[in-house]
Amino acid sequence: MNAQQPITILIAALGGEGGGVLAEWLVDIATRAGHPAQATSIPGVAQRTGATTYYVEIHPQTRVELGGRTPVLSLAPVPGCVDLMVASELLEAVRAVQNGYVSPERTTLLTSSQRTLTTFEKLAPGDGRFDSARLLQVAGSNSKRLATFDVAATAREAGTVPSAVLCGAIAGSGVLPFARAAFEEVISASGRGVEASLRGFALGFERSGAALGGAPAPTPAAPADLIVLGHARVVEFQDAAYGELYRQRVGRLRAAEQLADPQGRHGAALAREGARFLALWMAFDDVIRVADLKSRASRFARVRAEAGAAAGDLLRIADHFKPGVTELAGLLPPATGQRLLAWEGRRRRAGKAPLGIALKLRADSISGFLALRLLAGLRPLRRRGQRYAAEQALIERWLAAVEQAAARDWQAGFELALCARLVKGYGATNERAKDNLHHIVEHLAHKDAADIGRARSAALADEAGSGLDQALLQAGAPPRAVKPVPVRWFKAGAR
Amino acid sequence: MEVSFSKEVRQLRLGAGETLHGEGILAITKALLQSGVAYVGGYQGAPVSHLLDVMVQAADYMAELGVHVEACSNEASAAAMLGASIHYPLRGAVTWKSVVGTNVAADALSNLASPGVMGGALIIVGEDYGEGASVIQERSHAFAMKSSLLLLDPRPQLPNMVRMVEQGFALSEACNTPAILQLRVRACHVRGSFECRDNLPPAVSRKALLAEPARFDYEKLAHPPATFRQEKLKTEQRLPAARRYIVEQGLNEIFAGRREDIGIIVQGGLHNTLVRALQQFDLADAFGAAEFPILALNVTYPLVPEQIADFCRGKRAVLVVEEGQPEYIEQEIATTLRRQDLNTAIHGKDLLQMAGEYTVEVVAAGLVNFIARHAADLPLTAAQDWLAANAARRQTVADQLAAPLPPRPPQFCTGCPERPVFSALKLAQANVGAVHVAADIGCHSFATFEPFGFGHTILGYGMSLASRAGVSPMLGRRALAVMGDGGFWHNGLLTGVESALFNKTDAVLLIMKNGYTAATGTQEIISTPDEEQKAGAPDKRLSLVDRNQTIERTLTGLGVTWLRTVPSYEVDAMRRTLEEAFTTEAGGLKVIVAAGECQLERQRRVKPWLAGLLKAGKRVVKIRYGVDADVCSGDHSCIRLSGCPTLTLKDSDDPLKVDPVATVIEGCVGCGLCGENAHAATLCPSFYRVELVQNPGLAERALAAIRRGFIGMWQPA
Repeated sequence: MNAQQPITILIAALGGEGGGVLAEWLVDIATRAGHPAQATSIPGVAQRTGATTYYVEIHPQTRVELGGRTPVLSLAPVPGCVDLMVASELLEAVRAVQNGYVSPERTTLLTSSQRTLTTFEKLAPGDGRFDSARLLQVAGSNSKRLATFDVAATAREAGTVPSAVLCGAIAGSGVLPFARAAFEEVISASGRGVEASLRGFALGFERSGAALGGAPAPTPAAPADLIVLGHARVVEFQDAAYGELYRQRVGRLRAAEQLADPQGRHGAALAREGARFLALWMAFDDVIRVADLKSRASRFARVRAEAGAAAGDLLRIADHFKPGVTELAGLLPPATGQRLLAWEGRRRRAGKAPLGIALKLRADSISGFLALRLLAGLRPLRRRGQRYAAEQALIERWLAAVEQAAARDWQAGFELALCARLVKGYGATNERAKDNLHHIVEHLAHKDAADIGRARSAALADEAGSGLDQALLQAGAPPRAVKPVPVRWFKAGAR
Repeated sequence: MEVSFSKEVRQLRLGAGETLHGEGILAITKALLQSGVAYVGGYQGAPVSHLLDVMVQAADYMAELGVHVEACSNEASAAAMLGASIHYPLRGAVTWKSVVGTNVAADALSNLASPGVMGGALIIVGEDYGEGASVIQERSHAFAMKSSLLLLDPRPQLPNMVRMVEQGFALSEACNTPAILQLRVRACHVRGSFECRDNLPPAVSRKALLAEPARFDYEKLAHPPATFRQEKLKTEQRLPAARRYIVEQGLNEIFAGRREDIGIIVQGGLHNTLVRALQQFDLADAFGAAEFPILALNVTYPLVPEQIADFCRGKRAVLVVEEGQPEYIEQEIATTLRRQDLNTAIHGKDLLQMAGEYTVEVVAAGLVNFIARHAADLPLTAAQDWLAANAARRQTVADQLAAPLPPRPPQFCTGCPERPVFSALKLAQANVGAVHVAADIGCHSFATFEPFGFGHTILGYGMSLASRAGVSPMLGRRALAVMGDGGFWHNGLLTGVESALFNKTDAVLLIMKNGYTAATGTQEIISTPDEEQKAGAPDKRLSLVDRNQTIERTLTGLGVTWLRTVPSYEVDAMRRTLEEAFTTEAGGLKVIVAAGECQLERQRRVKPWLAGLLKAGKRVVKIRYGVDADVCSGDHSCIRLSGCPTLTLKDSDDPLKVDPVATVIEGCVGCGLCGENAHAATLCPSFYRVELVQNPGLAERALAAIRRGFIGMWQPA
């Protein structure tokens, strides 16, 4: 490096991660070592969890060597001229890469492998997360050296904040001309939570060093046999007979695939993926299922662990339920259930609020626990209920459509089988999801595979379904019927 | 207040010979004291909030010095405060975020500039332009020009910034003109050091009072006919005096170059950027010694025609590096050269980008054009290759990513009391149809981002209610105005509420009463719950905003009859109240106060409180929420109604499920929104609330043991 050229460090962090403290430490370390140093930041509303950056410049010569001359340091990072890029979150590291700061000739990139998802990524009814593998690949192929490890987890392990771990990672990278002791000295002088900070520093130092040495690639887990899992799920949900029904239905998927793809060029993907979503669908979440899951010992243990409860601590668990007319009707015989639902439908269209009882049920109390077990005990009634009948009817409708489509074209059958992924959620969400699936089955089953695939992706991308309607129109199918929403307005002169 | 500045406050006491290490804005604050400032005021806003915050927290030391510090209700009241320097030999400083704050202050500034000042008056503005800015992009420069105020734009190096504060006061007094000192975001946050001088206790102060008021002097009134004379004084006496002082004291810096035929004139604040850009061509060294002479304008208004002419004389061409539009400085320089009949070619916005921040890359691109035109002998390849490489790299990465990276705007904090209100608004609109939402400045403007996307207009701080005055009469539905308590006191009370009442408007106002101006760093306001309340509260978790009824009393006093207060976290109650406000037959202004104290402030109380109880081995109940992964079906409708940072996604442990499931991560403060939404929106039953009892009592331990025993007998694995 040019003896005159400053050493430049760009830090990308999220609000509340101590990025400012880190920048302050780096300046202190340099200053104590006699080097001119400067830090700037764009905190903006960082404390409101937005993305933010800190920038540090350190002159390679000491003040003594400079003999009174003061270097002009830049307030802002310069694309391609960053020596060390540090990020507490993977997407933010790649954002800096995207902005051109990181150079494959010059920049050492230290980033956490962990993702803090953006709100945008969390909204999709399906999976809207940006592909982490691609982020890592981009980070690696566009930097001189890359070191990644889970900074957040390391910080938790050390009982400190990410800034201490990142400071260790910086020291471990060897980009700065300062000894480890110089870093630790400044951290020790910082006063609060010094032991924890030093623990985090040590872990960061060691892990970035190791990662720069080349971290081992994670071994992919062996794929589970979905059909076996599915069968087990369905039997657990109801009984052996229901499991048998699952087997028969999977058999039909297999047969359909046999006809469509006798050589098995697609590796039985249709049957496998169809069986996956079929199992989830057949084991639909009704009050009986939920009560059963919520009252198990394994669940109590999991909650205890997540709450980080120590030996002597007590735990109170309050479950939020709001059973309504739909849940009740689901348990009643189909005819009665239908009448009840029709009545509720009229009430809603009249602009009345849906009926429902908001419960905070103490699962750890004797009464609460008994209530849950009692509901779980209703399992034998389920088969006679309206919800059961309705789900089976739609499952059969979907299955038949998959068979027909597959007979025409394997790809079309496959895409239609995947559409069962839409069926999830509770209450209104679940209704909407099934309406969407029903609409696709009714109007797209005979269309091209591509049309079906587009419609499914659209339905999984946004809840409002405007994308789905577009996909439908594009495929020459009618858009979904608009649900009537009662609009009650009063304003003087408005009516 | 969100941050404690005890360390900074200590540094304010440093004396001659000692070195201050800290941010630019702290250096400025110290410089005020070194200049013998007598009174300080302002209104908070990034990037200058810390100036006032530090001063407020240094109250004891300020009292020692006799300095008066006032947290003003808005920028207009801060600017008016400078009126003290019209008649009295008092040095005063005020601060705010510009350009928005300067807009609010404009009336007082004009009426201050016209009579002029006796004591030095300094206005420190955070020039919120470019990266990290949170307001409309305009220049403060225009205000200096129209009101004949001095404008300083210091080279962003701490010793120079300090010098410009001290000189700013002197300059202001030398020409009886108030001065604006503008600091860009990065200059406010630049961390460096400078050698201090002793603080100067003001000659006239709270400790050394004036005996008598000044004698009546009509000439010092911004009132006709005096104003006609004052207008002439500005150009005939004050600005010439300013120019003389600028030259005598060498406020603008000339850095010699290796060649004299070409030069660059740059705003002081952009000097470092220019030098780094020149380094990309190898035309400047690490210490700023450059190929071309550089005139760095620490004072950007007024310019000194003679100085400009002397710099340009004998040069074939000069480049003006001036950030933002229009190019006021460049135009004035061009006029100057024409009048002096100098034929030096003047370039600026013709070769540099017209609008937007001047980064090193932007300036370098302009330099390529300039050098190619006027110094073809110099090598351009280094810089051109560098610029091309940047562009190529960005393209490559974009191709590799295949999809644009999702943005990460700021959002409501974990447990923020405003998030539930917008959850309720989302539910209410689903029931009664869409509303026109007039948004405002403040944390609540984060509701314009996902997952809410509310807000048709933002017309300024506290302006939401006023901004729908023309919409309501034209709309068959009621319009909703959202306003924070900060905006309410800043000016919403008058521009919005008073006007709506006087005009008998039919509208709905939703006031976010969180107790502070939260977005600027939770500074206190008149409706902030007082310290005794906070100290006395048995459960430090509770919101205390209900203890201060100033807003409610003010509204009732003004004549608001339809007034409802709803605790922020009661989503269903808030939904019902909103629906009622939208649909009731009652006309006139309907006000809903969403009461919930800023979570940042609450956590500042809660954390030490719980830590203390645990240390003492006392009983502590910690609350958090959770999601049962096996019940969650991965449709994420809960997230679309919340957006809480701690309610996120994780891979499902269930091999059958392909979509990620919801999870509550560490950091959940147990605000209760998850449960409220689950009920209000009839979401899935996977949410649960956990109360973790540490150091439990004997009785509850016994009860728990009985429960465990019983449940254990009947519980399936």
